Amino acid sequence: MLGLFDNDYGSDGFRQCSVTGLQIHQSVEKYVKLFALTAIVALLYGGIFALTVAMTRWEVVGLLDAGDFYTHLSLHAWNLLIFWMIFMEIAILYVGGPMVLGRKLPLERVAQLGWLTMVAGALLVNYAIWTTSAPDQAPLLTSYAPLPSDPLFYTGAIVFLLGATISALPFFTALWFEKRENPGQTLPLVTFGAFITAIIAVEAILGGLAAFSYALAWRIELIGSIDAALYRQLYWIVGHGSQQINLVAMIVVWYFLTHVVGGAEIVSEKVSRTAFILYLFFINLGAAHHLLSDPAVSTGWRIFNTSYAFYGATFASLIHAFAIPAGIEAGRRKRGLGGGLFGWLTGAPWKNPIFSSTIFSIILFGFLGGITGVLMGQLQLNMTWHNTLATVGHFHATVVLGTTVAFMGLSYFVIRTMFMRAFISPKLASIQPYFYAGAMSIATLMLMYVGILYGVPRRTSEVVENIPGTDFSLAAAGPLFNVFGIFALLAIAGGVLFLVIAVGSVLFGKKLEPGDNADLTPDGLVYPDGGDVETADVEEEGNPVHTYDMRGTFVLCLIFLGAFVITYVLNWYLLSQLWQIGA
Amino acid sequence: MSSPLKPPEGNWWDQAVNRRESIWLGLGVIWSLVLFGWMSIWTRTGDQNPIGETYRVTEAEFQEKMAAYKDAAEETEQGLVPDDTSVYMAGVRFAWDGAPVVLEADTQYDFHLSSYDVQHGFSLRPEATLSKQINLQILPGYEWVVPMTFDEPGTYHIICNEFCGEGHRSMHDTIIVTEAA
Ligand SMILES: [Cu+2]
Repeated sequence: MLGLFDNDYGSDGFRQCSVTGLQIHQSVEKYVKLFALTAIVALLYGGIFALTVAMTRWEVVGLLDAGDFYTHLSLHAWNLLIFWMIFMEIAILYVGGPMVLGRKLPLERVAQLGWLTMVAGALLVNYAIWTTSAPDQAPLLTSYAPLPSDPLFYTGAIVFLLGATISALPFFTALWFEKRENPGQTLPLVTFGAFITAIIAVEAILGGLAAFSYALAWRIELIGSIDAALYRQLYWIVGHGSQQINLVAMIVVWYFLTHVVGGAEIVSEKVSRTAFILYLFFINLGAAHHLLSDPAVSTGWRIFNTSYAFYGATFASLIHAFAIPAGIEAGRRKRGLGGGLFGWLTGAPWKNPIFSSTIFSIILFGFLGGITGVLMGQLQLNMTWHNTLATVGHFHATVVLGTTVAFMGLSYFVIRTMFMRAFISPKLASIQPYFYAGAMSIATLMLMYVGILYGVPRRTSEVVENIPGTDFSLAAAGPLFNVFGIFALLAIAGGVLFLVIAVGSVLFGKKLEPGDNADLTPDGLVYPDGGDVETADVEEEGNPVHTYDMRGTFVLCLIFLGAFVITYVLNWYLLSQLWQIGA
Repeated sequence: MSSPLKPPEGNWWDQAVNRRESIWLGLGVIWSLVLFGWMSIWTRTGDQNPIGETYRVTEAEFQEKMAAYKDAAEETEQGLVPDDTSVYMAGVRFAWDGAPVVLEADTQYDFHLSSYDVQHGFSLRPEATLSKQINLQILPGYEWVVPMTFDEPGTYHIICNEFCGEGHRSMHDTIIVTEAA
């Protein structure tokens, strides 16, 4: 098909990647491309609604009326937060599993069936949202019962989740084969991280099947009533669980891309793997932070989940926050690529969009997404974040500035090394991460400010210029909304630029020959001829990686902790100014 | 070379950890404990906690309670003046039953919050300082009793901040807080 799935494979179906040195089988590569391309189609489609939704919330424009707004908001949420992410995550599982292990993709027909089922589910959800009519209401992301959604919507969600499960089976099978053939052999870190991601995904999917089946049974009147609190608990297993898949998959991508294009090494296998294990046990309990301002769960339950349990996951994130930049620092110092405090960083390949996307993802996720996630995960602070636009700011910092930016970097990587295409404009590709991440950061910060400082609610088509039926409004937030509107438009332009480069390069980019990708490799890491890294000079001369200096990373992490402490204190100060609430 | 794409070599578990990474791990543990400790202390000593008794209640039962409450309360131009320190409020598409209500500053009221139909969001702020705002989730089938003491007189605005249907954006009402008697 359009030559998209061709490459020069040997008679055994394998080829060696000139950038990673990996032995890639055509069966794996085919499905990685298929899922990644499908993800990009979902990004394109869901991105259209980013424009209409943002231009409605910017009430100066006030694009849509209320009815259309909720429909578009639902389409925006499902296509970006669910379909773009999860199609890409299946591609990541196939990269992290069979591709890294140098295996064929087992159960090819199952992968095909999984893809078809996911596509069918996604189409059904989209169809149901477009055709929703009274008494059903637009589902938004959550479809909070007892507000009814179209039965087809619940069905589509269930079909999609089943499809994702089917698609994960070849990944698990590849790992099983690998362990059977090499008993006692430790999995590579990327594969291990992908495995953890997949387990968290299965947990999330089980919760999703329970939530949507429960709601569907009620909606088609198999059961007489639905408990709003129980639905919320079940729903958030998948609602937040799916975001934890995004998080862990993103971190796997961080380890992968900082290594292949930045020269990063693993400074401590023990520490990094322990962090993944902490995620496995604790991160899904973070979902409790959606229920902190709920009446139906006990205080003890809320405190347990947001403290003992959730800080297990927070601590794990703090570990990665050090380990990944430290890997870059140590790896580059080892190769003599930059001395001083930050020479390893300033001398890094900043013009390579794969590298810059990854680094922006790490920094912006940490500073904007991670810190705010912990803030709103505090029982009391949650009252000032819950259901305001600040929450929307938080998850745009995590899933857009974090995951989407990382996945854009991964897409660039797939285009160059798997589709084997040159970018249609290398210059625009270099600029795109700066443009997109910069504009999106400001738009995201504005969402947080208007939420916290003016209490502007989420999920409403108007409230700043006008609240129908009263003179009262949140007009004081207007100036910040103007900043938001302008930067949202710029960010959307940056997203369009990504799509033009990505789709344009896949379709019309110059076909690359093996060896043409030498510019991607960090100097001295992997050799363009695909030579075995084990025999490289650096290896013989290098000391163990943990002995290299990590003071640059340490300083960066202290700056991060400082920012964390300051925003924490400010949020508590604001809360303490409130009247007395609660027992 | 320690690559994330290859199985680690040798006894990787016993590999030493860089000193600065160890220090960072220590800082991480301390910070996690601070986060937990502060939150826990605030539930005991702080003035703002999303904590109150919850009771199962049917929509009809809550409507009965509301009717009895309204009977006892005094109707004024500005709104209901409750008979005692219990205040009842229910979300119903697209209004707040029980509002507007007139309360006194420096008196502790028990807010009984519920819904007659779907989920709503109880988002409250004084007109004078929008940054002072709190948000509570309101569920049908549950009566949540949350105590509140307003320290500043003024008009407080309630906005529904959970999507409850197309007319959701108009779901607004007020609480009037007067000087302490
Ligand atoms: Cu409402």
